[in-house]
Amino acid sequence: MARHVIEVRGLTKTYSPHRAPVRALDRVSFTVDEGQFVTLVGPSGGGKSTLLLILAGLVESTTGEVWVDGEQVRGPVPEKIGIVFQDATLLPWKTALANVEFPLDLRHVPRGVRRERALALLEMVGLQDFADRYPHELSGGMRQRVAIARGLVQDPRIVLMDEPFGALDEQTRTKMGQELLRIWEKTRKTIFFITHSLTEAIYLSDVVLVMSPRPGRILDVMPVDLPRPRRFEMMGSEAFGQARNRIWKLITEGEG
Amino acid sequence: MSRTQAVRIGGLAAALLAWEGVSRLGWISPIILASPSAVLAAIRADGGVFLQAFEVTLAEIAIAIALAWSLGIGVGVAAGSLPRLGATAGPLLSSLFAIPLIILYPLFVAWVGMGPASKILFGAASGFFPIALNALSGVRCLDPRFALVARGMGATTGQIFFKVLLPLALPAIISGLRVGTSLIIIGVVVTEMLASVGGVGFLISYHRTMFNTGHVYLGIFLALLAALLVNRGLSHLEERFGRWRILEQTRA
Ligand SMILES: Nc1ncnc2c1ncn2[C@@H]1O[C@H](COP(=O)(O)OP(=O)(O)OP(=O)(O)O)[C@@H](O)[C@H]1O
Ligand SMILES: [Mg+2]
Repeated sequence: MARHVIEVRGLTKTYSPHRAPVRALDRVSFTVDEGQFVTLVGPSGGGKSTLLLILAGLVESTTGEVWVDGEQVRGPVPEKIGIVFQDATLLPWKTALANVEFPLDLRHVPRGVRRERALALLEMVGLQDFADRYPHELSGGMRQRVAIARGLVQDPRIVLMDEPFGALDEQTRTKMGQELLRIWEKTRKTIFFITHSLTEAIYLSDVVLVMSPRPGRILDVMPVDLPRPRRFEMMGSEAFGQARNRIWKLITEGEG
Repeated sequence: MSRTQAVRIGGLAAALLAWEGVSRLGWISPIILASPSAVLAAIRADGGVFLQAFEVTLAEIAIAIALAWSLGIGVGVAAGSLPRLGATAGPLLSSLFAIPLIILYPLFVAWVGMGPASKILFGAASGFFPIALNALSGVRCLDPRFALVARGMGATTGQIFFKVLLPLALPAIISGLRVGTSLIIIGVVVTEMLASVGGVGFLISYHRTMFNTGHVYLGIFLALLAALLVNRGLSHLEERFGRWRILEQTRA
């Protein structure tokens, strides 16, 4: 049996700003196996980003625990977890290469090592010819690739992605999904991926976590029984359609 | 010499000639408009004094800039990145900015005397508020995910401050520096004119009471020169650090 690389136990999160407290997560528990591709889907405002930030050690949970790789998460663990957000959050005054190098720069990795590692990753995401371009000179999809390369540069075991392709058009988005699967198959990282798109969720993942409206609970942990490597045509298959319907039903019932 | 340069110099010479002509013809009283030759005479008579005064003024401006920039940016970025601090500091800064500081100038003089210190203090105080406010709103408007991503990468608080937030907010900070720095120059020169015994402002107001219009104009030119120099420096800074923002906007 594969070991659990992520283990979440009874997470509850209540944001308490000055006004009324907001309950974002409600007793969330699940596990993720080493090397799995897991997506989290759910209605807007359900607490998905909150969950990701807690996994990353960037937000404290109100109750509950997160264990990563056998250690309890109490703060950022950059050597174990890489993060990729929507809109890439690249630093606009740095080139693609410098952006990918940035996490290593923060940790005072020698320049030569840094450069070599960043170049290798840019090559993996297919951007070796764009190393010296600035973010504004890149397309949305390219920026997102740079962000993925940056998320991988510290060679973390886990990559957390919050709607990384949310701002892209459908065609680019589908291509990026295939690209990500290729990278995943090559690196065998554990990926925790948030999306609004049920199609994307099923197409990419081994397991889909379905979250309820706020306060977010895990309604279902649904394995996806589609063979790998995934191919575009599978989206039209019966199994795909059934999986889609099941998630849709869960989400809409949860709202009711 | 390029063509445009030649045109510029020619234009300047023509303007000076016309100006001299207007004064010579006596169309405008020399008390209102000094002729270029009167300014030249002032340089010949008191050039050394003016140069010394110019140095004093520049030094005051430089120190006031150093104070206002470092404190303004420091306070602004800190208040912008720490929500609790920002919630109290923000409104406080904007209401203080609304007070005409000149009414406090007598206090400054009482504290540190009529010398350069009171000018520096006043100049720095005038520049501080717009600089801090711009830095504050510049940082506050940033997508909070920038700081989150950096922290997730293992950045320390200092690294987040200096390597992420500060450079991201730089275009906003620089526009604050523009406003703030002109207020510093104004502040220094005006307080020199109000009560002092040194600096270009003092010479302007002294010679005005003596009706030495040539000297007054010389002083005004020097004050303008100071503003021009500082502005040049700022444009340089903007060019160097704000470029990506401009590039980004032209693309969008
Ligand atoms: N820093 C915060 N302070 C207070 N409330 C917050 C904060 N962050 C999120 N919330 C609230 O928590 C709830 C869940 O937000 P979250 O961003 O996790 O949802 P989400 O599922 O990621 O939504 P979306 O799909 O739209 O991205 C929302 O009601 C939101 O208003
Ligand atoms: Mg979200």
